[in-house]
This record gives sequence, C-alpha cells and structure tokens, in this order.
Amino acid sequence: MSHLHIPDGVLPVWLWLAGWALTAALVWLASRKLTTTDARRSVPLIGVVSALVLVAMSSEIVPLAYHINLTVLAGVLLGPWAGVISAFIVVLALALLGHGGITVVGLNALVIATEMALGWALVRGGARVIRRAKLGRVAAAATVLTLALTTTMVVGIVALGGTAAMSRETGALDPETLQFNNPFTGGVLSIGLLAGGEHADAADAAGETAGSAGAADAEPTLAVGRFAAVVYTLGPLGWLLEALVTGAIVGYIGRVRPSLLFGGADWRPRLPGDEHGRR
Amino acid sequence: MDITVVDRSATLGDSLLHRAAPASKLAASGLIVATVVVTSDPLIMASVAFALVGASAMLRLPLRSMLPLALYPAIFAFIFAFAAANGPVTTALIVLKAVTAALAMVMLVFTTPYPQVFAAVQRVTPVIVGDALLLTYRSLFILAEKFSDLSRAVRLRAGVSARQPLRSARATTRALGGLLLYAFDLSQRDYDILRLRGYDGGLRVSPQRSSAPGVDAAAIGFGLAALMLAIVFRALPLPGYSWIPGLAGALALGAGLIIGRNHTTKQRGAR
Repeated sequence: MSHLHIPDGVLPVWLWLAGWALTAALVWLASRKLTTTDARRSVPLIGVVSALVLVAMSSEIVPLAYHINLTVLAGVLLGPWAGVISAFIVVLALALLGHGGITVVGLNALVIATEMALGWALVRGGARVIRRAKLGRVAAAATVLTLALTTTMVVGIVALGGTAAMSRETGALDPETLQFNNPFTGGVLSIGLLAGGEHADAADAAGETAGSAGAADAEPTLAVGRFAAVVYTLGPLGWLLEALVTGAIVGYIGRVRPSLLFGGADWRPRLPGDEHGRR
Repeated sequence: MDITVVDRSATLGDSLLHRAAPASKLAASGLIVATVVVTSDPLIMASVAFALVGASAMLRLPLRSMLPLALYPAIFAFIFAFAAANGPVTTALIVLKAVTAALAMVMLVFTTPYPQVFAAVQRVTPVIVGDALLLTYRSLFILAEKFSDLSRAVRLRAGVSARQPLRSARATTRALGGLLLYAFDLSQRDYDILRLRGYDGGLRVSPQRSSAPGVDAAAIGFGLAALMLAIVFRALPLPGYSWIPGLAGALALGAGLIIGRNHTTKQRGAR
C-alpha cells in the first residue's frame, strides 16, 4: 500500500498538479543539498538503491502475490534527501511501465519519499535508544509505523479529492453520458444502458437515462469511508510482511556489514578529490 | 514484470514505431494521458484503448508481453473502484482509464529504449536526477539478473513452495539481503569508474532522430484526434452518441488484428 494505485483522470486536476509542484520543489531542494555535499558519491548510490527497490517491487512472495517495496530500507540507506530523488526515480520508472498513473507521479513520489524519510528517522532514532543487536526488530517496528502513517496519507489524499473527483468541473467522471442514441433519426432511438428501455423522445431519453444512471451511481463522490475500510483491512497484512522482510534484511546487514547502517546518511567518508564533485 | 523483455523489444524491435523520434512518441503518449484525464465517458475511453491495441497489432508489437503489463493496473484500479466508486459505470470508467494510460506508456517503452526516454526527462530535471536515472537503468538489469541467480540458489538450497509461505518469505529475504550487499559493491564500483573518468555531473544521451517522419506525424495526429474527441464529447451536449467512436474503435481493433495477422502469415510463407 506504499503508493497510490489510482489511475490518471480520477483525482482532481488541482490535487495532482499540487503533488507535481511539491515534488518538483522537493527534488530541486534535494539536488541542491546533494550537489553541495558529494555528488559523485550520491549518484551511483541513488541509482543502485532505486534499482534495488524496483527489483524488489518486481519480485513477489510466492503464494501471497505480495510484492515487497523496501522503501523503508532504502530510506535507511540513503537518508531523507537522496531518498526524495530515489522516490521520484522509482515512481517515474513504475509509471513508464504502466504501474500507476503519470499524473499521480508527484503524489506517489511524495508518499514514498515520506516513507523513506520516516523510516530513516525511526530506525536511526531506535538504533540510538535500543541495542544494535535488536536492530532488526527496531526496523520491523519502524516499518509498521511508517506504513500505517503513509497509508493514512494515501487515504487523506483520496479524501482531499473525494468530493471533486467525480464532478464535471474538476474531475473526469460523468456516467450520465452513457446512452445510445441514433444520429440518423435525430435521437428517436435511445436506449439507456442502465435503464434498459427505448424512449420516443430524445430529450426525455437523455433526462430519464441520466436519472437511471444517476440512481445507479447515487452520489457523484468517491466513497472515502469505504476506501479507508478496504485499505485498513488489507493493509496490515502487507505492513506485517514488509516489516518481517525489512527487519530480517536490516538485521542481516547489521550483522555482516554494520557500517552501512550505523553511519546513517553521512556515513560516507570524504575521499581525496571529492571536492571536485561540487558544483 | 520482466523488465528485460521490455528492453529487448525497445532496442531490438524493428516496427515502424521504433523508427519514429522518441520526442514524437513522448508527445503522443502525453496526448493520450491528457485524453484519459479529460474523458468522462467509458465508451470514448474504450474506443481509444481499442484503437491502441489495434495499432499495436497492426505494427506487430509484442502484444503477448504488452497486454499483461497494460492490464496489470486494472487489478488495482478495480480494487480502488470497488472501494471508492459509486456504481458500475464509474467502476468501468476507472478501470478503462487505468488500462488506456498504461497501454500508451507500455507502447512507448516497448518501442523506445529507456535512455532515450530519460534523455527527455534529463532536460527538465536537475543534473543529479538525470544521472541517477541513467545509473538506475544500468543497475536494474545487473541487479535483476543477480537476484534471479540468488533466488535460484536459495530455492535449490532451502526450497520455495506455495505451501510454506514463511519459509518462502525467509528465502526471498535472504536473497534480497545478499542482493543488497552486492548492490553496495556495485555502487562503489560505479563511483570508482565515475571518478576515474573525471565525472563532474551530466551524463548526456544524444537524442535519436526519426527515420520515418510520417510515423511521427501519425502518432501525434492519433494523440490529437483522441484528445479532440474527448474534449468534444465532454464540452458539447452529445450524450448518447459515444457508441459511434466506441464502435469505430472496435472496428479499428479488428482491422489491426487482421492486418497484423495477415502480415505475419505472409512473412512465414516467405520463409
């Protein structure tokens, strides 16, 4: 549930434009921040971790058909600023494969960047308080908390677009137009798909069919309550699986190469010649 | 989702769409996404989706690999629509929007190598984002292959079966842990290479030029026609006539399938 699986043209234009604008601002800020520190080190690291997240997303746990996200782990490895760029890259690559809409790339990048930043903060904070031997459990708990929060963020986004998403002015959905009129007889033959009858008068047909379609689609709004119920019912299973996988990987890395985790975002040593990477 | 299939088709394919300029294909895809945003009628949406599948069949693009990718978002769209929409018409529209937009994107990436798509993105993003995009693309195939090897090794040693989800999850996790360590070594190697070559930001990709200007015009023309259709049916009082473009789309799909099939049969006969 770590990203919105909402297609293009469902959320209102102002909402996804705001998502794009906010993401663009964050990506610009993050690139400024990273280029002033250590560009040459950041670029391959972001590339490899983004690719790792994409590979994880393309592999599933066999009987459950659940794909892992590894966004919290990526956040822990990259830190919040590089995480913003990685989130944007991952979401863009997924959208190009048809996995998520192009218009919602901005909103999805915000959700995943939040996941990475929160995961980074919680695991780092937890590692300071709790012994390193229990790092896997800290990461698992951080993953559950992070995913619960970002799922709430997703529900919030849908709620924001809820009332406007179905209206003709801002959104795109208008079931009233789903009728069948004959253009050659001036609309004499008119069959409402949901009304299931013929009408003698085109005007009446339009009105009545719209009425019947309207009856089927009672309120032109997204049912946010129902959406939240579905998400919070299915979500915890995903959070738990993700937590188990992230906890196990972080525990494993903590044992075999702790330097990757305990240094955090600033773990990288400054090597001779790095100052030339500044722009 | 097998990314290598996409890359193979994009780099080795020789359809007419492969010869068009990436900029034209990106513009056409953008117009289709705009159509998806504007459309408020499931029949109009279906007509665009039918026409896209018909065009893919006529151009002999690998539909068997493309359709599962394009239909994959339909599952999530249906869950979303089931949870959030208020009726069958809205549900159909949400699912069709997801499939049509995915079809446009899948057609783009199956006919355009990723670096060419990223070259366009590079022009509007900060240098670090463009460079990281290219390195993501490079690393993706290396990591996907490594993960496949690691998973096979883990499966042979520990066994992954549908009956034992916990054991499967543990095996997948172990493979991912190994992959992570490998990824870090790869990142270090990339860094060393970039340093040796004096990288100072800005990995540039030269944009590919079109070798079939007619196809460029046709792709953009198709996108514009779809958008105009969506705008007309949204702006003008034409309820009840959207079945006409729907039928035209279905006919285009049939024609595309027949033309594509005939061409394949002729090619087989020639061999």
